[in-house]
Amino acid sequence: MKLNKLILNNIEHSYGNGPILDKLCLELIGGEITCLIGESGAGKTTLLRIIAGLEKQSGGEIILGDRVISDHMSFVDTNKREIGLVVQERALFPHLKVIDNICFGLKGKKDYKIERAEYLMNIFRIINYRDSYPHEISSGEQQRVSLARALAPSPKILLMDEPFSSIDRALKFSLRKDTKEILKDEKITSLIVSHDFNDALEVADKLAIIDKGKIAQIGEPRSVVLNPVNNQIKKQFLCETGDMLYWKSKIDEDNSNY
Amino acid sequence: MKNSFSLSPIFLVAIIFSLPAIFIFLSLAQDFSSNWMHLVDTVLPEYLLNSLKLFIGVSIGVFILGVSTAWIISTCEFRGKKFFSWALILPFAIPPYIMSYAFTGLFDSYGSANDLARFIFQLDPETVLFPSVRNITGAIIIFSFTLYPYVFLISQTSFLNQSRDIFDVSRTLGLSRFKTFFKVALPIARPSIVAALMLVGMEVLSDFGAVEHFAIPTFTSGIFRTWFGLNDLTTAKQLASILFMIFLFLILIEKYSRRKILYTSNSTSNRELVPTPLKGYKEFFAIIVCSLPIFIGFFIPFVQLLYWTIFHESTFFSSDFISLITNSLSLAAISSIICLSIATIINYIIRIEKNNFLSFINKIITSGYGIPGIVLALGVLNLFLMLDNLSNIILTGSLIGLIFAYCVKFYAVTNSSISSGFKKISINLDNVASSLGSPNRRILKSIHLPLLKSSFLIGTLVFMIEVIKELPATLILRPFNFNTLSVSAYNFASDERMIEAAAPSIGIVIACLIPIIILIKLIGKDEIE
Repeated sequence: MKLNKLILNNIEHSYGNGPILDKLCLELIGGEITCLIGESGAGKTTLLRIIAGLEKQSGGEIILGDRVISDHMSFVDTNKREIGLVVQERALFPHLKVIDNICFGLKGKKDYKIERAEYLMNIFRIINYRDSYPHEISSGEQQRVSLARALAPSPKILLMDEPFSSIDRALKFSLRKDTKEILKDEKITSLIVSHDFNDALEVADKLAIIDKGKIAQIGEPRSVVLNPVNNQIKKQFLCETGDMLYWKSKIDEDNSNY
Repeated sequence: MKNSFSLSPIFLVAIIFSLPAIFIFLSLAQDFSSNWMHLVDTVLPEYLLNSLKLFIGVSIGVFILGVSTAWIISTCEFRGKKFFSWALILPFAIPPYIMSYAFTGLFDSYGSANDLARFIFQLDPETVLFPSVRNITGAIIIFSFTLYPYVFLISQTSFLNQSRDIFDVSRTLGLSRFKTFFKVALPIARPSIVAALMLVGMEVLSDFGAVEHFAIPTFTSGIFRTWFGLNDLTTAKQLASILFMIFLFLILIEKYSRRKILYTSNSTSNRELVPTPLKGYKEFFAIIVCSLPIFIGFFIPFVQLLYWTIFHESTFFSSDFISLITNSLSLAAISSIICLSIATIINYIIRIEKNNFLSFINKIITSGYGIPGIVLALGVLNLFLMLDNLSNIILTGSLIGLIFAYCVKFYAVTNSSISSGFKKISINLDNVASSLGSPNRRILKSIHLPLLKSSFLIGTLVFMIEVIKELPATLILRPFNFNTLSVSAYNFASDERMIEAAAPSIGIVIACLIPIIILIKLIGKDEIE
């Protein structure tokens, strides 16, 4: 299976009130999970939309695998990019049952679609809700359906926008674990956008910090958390936990678990 | 505080408002006459078939017009969008029977359109370029272009409530914008659209003026003919019962669809759709699609009626016309005041009693909206004949019967406005006022009524539009020699005096247009949802 890498070169974008993205560069290595963290308004979701082709950047280029999918000359439409998307609000199709939601993006014979959907439903432990409608299942189960639906067509890249927010704390842990397992099993290059450092520590291979439309720091999550390159990033950790010691103890705990 | 006295008005209104429907259904217990068998053997299948053809044809027509325009307005950005978003509602001002008068005048062999075509192309006087509209196809076109705003408004709300994320995800899963519309947006909006189609279906099946003008035998015209042609009121009521049962079935489908809307619109996202800017031929196409319904559904009939009125009808501002307008407006005003008062009292009681059973009873009272005008008129007539016999006071043929019928039929309109107005007033205001020592009556007078001002205005405007347009109940229940704009237009048109029918017709259009424009302005100011 070919691992797909994604390269973002000098991505620029603005909405009129100054630049949202300012010559942003980022490389996602094939099969790796990268977590992008930043404050509200840092341009995280905009970047995700640009990669998915839902918006066009005003400058720079995006290369998926060996192919330029968006630059000043060319633009591959969203539905032809083979990029999966999971959003915070799940966005399940309310008129379709769980199985039909998962089959939605699959092409081919009906038997194949059902087989693939049931395989994913088993992995995400939602097979019991096969014939339920989205409003009949809990938010944690809805997020599992949303992940299964995005993974079903085996996308080249999977983009996830705050996939673990608005879920109970207890559920979050198991969902993060399951998500990491399946992304690694399927060897899918992934980008998770979040504001929660726990997402990076528990799921990602790499952590990238976005600040003022640029990547301010990137590296192995534990190393980034323990060695922030500037005060702005340090402040973000402190704001969230109140104490850097929390992260040190958390990382020690995680290390002993692994 | 619960007491039986405060609840009694709701039960009393519920019983009184249900009486016309009960009288109609009681007719089924009476013997079926030979006329009934004659109808079953001869014209009843035709009534059913024509009604069905109209129902299906108009459903398709309003679906295409209403959904396509709603989708374009909700999801696209193009020149003139702001104008189209309110102008597309304008055909609401033209009742189907008025449009049928205008269109027959235009497209008959010697109508304006054929005259103009003969003049431009220098054709023989016998040449007819435009086909007649006095047939089922013509009726379907007329109903579609006058009733599509129901589907437009309801679909637009549904599309705007759908989350942007759902469309984004669909596109990342490989669907184009076009396929996303058919596989995602449309199925999600389906319950809303079905509910709107049922409302349109009820309007079509209860129409009397247009089908009568086009001489299309349907249930409503059949009821009228049985009563006046065969002079058989019982059989007419039995026919009306069947029509009413069809309506109850449509209402059930509509209610069921509304229940489904609850979960299909239960999006967890609040991200709104971002309209796509259109350029070039796509923008041109959007403008054409949005212009067509306004042009055919409003501009053409309006200009035709105005032309007849100004250039052919010298008595436009005669005393007759003024008295027609006065009659229509005063009937609408009196009935709306009664309905607003009832709706305010009932909703206030429901608010302080917090009782689901009372809300259910109120829903029963509002179901009068689903009774076709002609069926309601027969029920009211029957009730008043009985009261005449009991009281020795002749109420039949008085304005009381007509006002009562309007109240039964259009109470739902004022109730909807007042009930949503009450819901917007926080219950904490009541609690604070109570804690400051205000009794319930003072809370109603000093807090609720001032805050309900815009609800009163909206309720009155929509109620007036409905009453001014109403034809069959007015025609049957009005006192002898008492004419309204709608009755006058009908009388002239049924004598084929189309030019003379234009003045009352344009009166109806203008009288409906003014409230519609005020409502559009209020929507623009976000004073109503």
